[in-house]
Amino acid sequence: MAKAHKIIGVVPKQSYHENARIILPQKVEEVYTWEPFIWDETRHKELHNMRISIRRLRYTMDVFRAAYGFPKTSSKEVSVNYSGRFAEFFAVILDLQEILGDIHDSDVVLEALTDYADQAGRGTLAQGVAALIDRTKEIRKVDYKTFLEKWERLSAAGFKQELLSFLVS
Amino acid sequence: MITVSKIEKISPDSTLEVCARQVIVSYFREMMSCEEGAKDGTDIRFVHDMRVASRRLSAAMDNFADCFPEKPFKKYYKKVKAITRTMGAVRDLDVLIARFQKEMVTLTGAEQADIQGFIEHLQQEREDARKPMLTLFGKLEAADFETKFLEFFVSF
Repeated sequence: MAKAHKIIGVVPKQSYHENARIILPQKVEEVYTWEPFIWDETRHKELHNMRISIRRLRYTMDVFRAAYGFPKTSSKEVSVNYSGRFAEFFAVILDLQEILGDIHDSDVVLEALTDYADQAGRGTLAQGVAALIDRTKEIRKVDYKTFLEKWERLSAAGFKQELLSFLVS
Repeated sequence: MITVSKIEKISPDSTLEVCARQVIVSYFREMMSCEEGAKDGTDIRFVHDMRVASRRLSAAMDNFADCFPEKPFKKYYKKVKAITRTMGAVRDLDVLIARFQKEMVTLTGAEQADIQGFIEHLQQEREDARKPMLTLFGKLEAADFETKFLEFFVSF
């Protein structure tokens, strides 16, 4: 698992609200460092790392949730429903985390089944193990396709820029 | 699961260092509240909940590192990471066992026998994976980790 990127520019004496706008964009950028690898379904490690980065972003959004219930006092957009928009972005992040989690679960299951078969030293796979390997491969294929479709849809809609704009607003 | 909006006294206008302390202490207490259940091991939800709380705690600590003196902070951070790691080994096996138990009903009789053997193998691995977790808990208790952690983050 890749380490979390070091957060820079935090000002402990400044408000929680101001620091949310320093920290959260960096968490978003960490997620996108894995984007070049996601087009190859065999990049298990990178897909897993993207999932971990998304989870870190989700937890950080949760920590700073209260900062987005209240617009900055200098903002003229006081009518914007900040907490509603925050919840929409949060739901997308959660959805991405879940589908990447399903892909990772399949990778773990496949590894466990294969290791077990190897340890047992069987020339041919036991029926039950073989059946589950085939089924899990199929599930992973479908989940990976679903993930890519979601990602492409979000990219086409400019999700990253919208999220970053919102987080620094 | 505790959310930040529910943490007492948190306000967007408070300084980050004040909020950081409140968040870390709340997540830490939540994590430690699962310890007894995780040690017992009968109900797998305790290991899951404690691991999730430890991850939330370490994610918060990643963000708030600059609010605390580096040396003692790192010491506590590493211990939280160790808790997550040691619990992860147990939780991963719990997930696999639950998944294969669920899959069993969809298999033929012969296939079920194969998977039952596999589940028993995983259950043994789980028992082995619990040992480092229990050893770590014992060491943390002997070092009075909980009290010292709270003293550092509450009083700082």
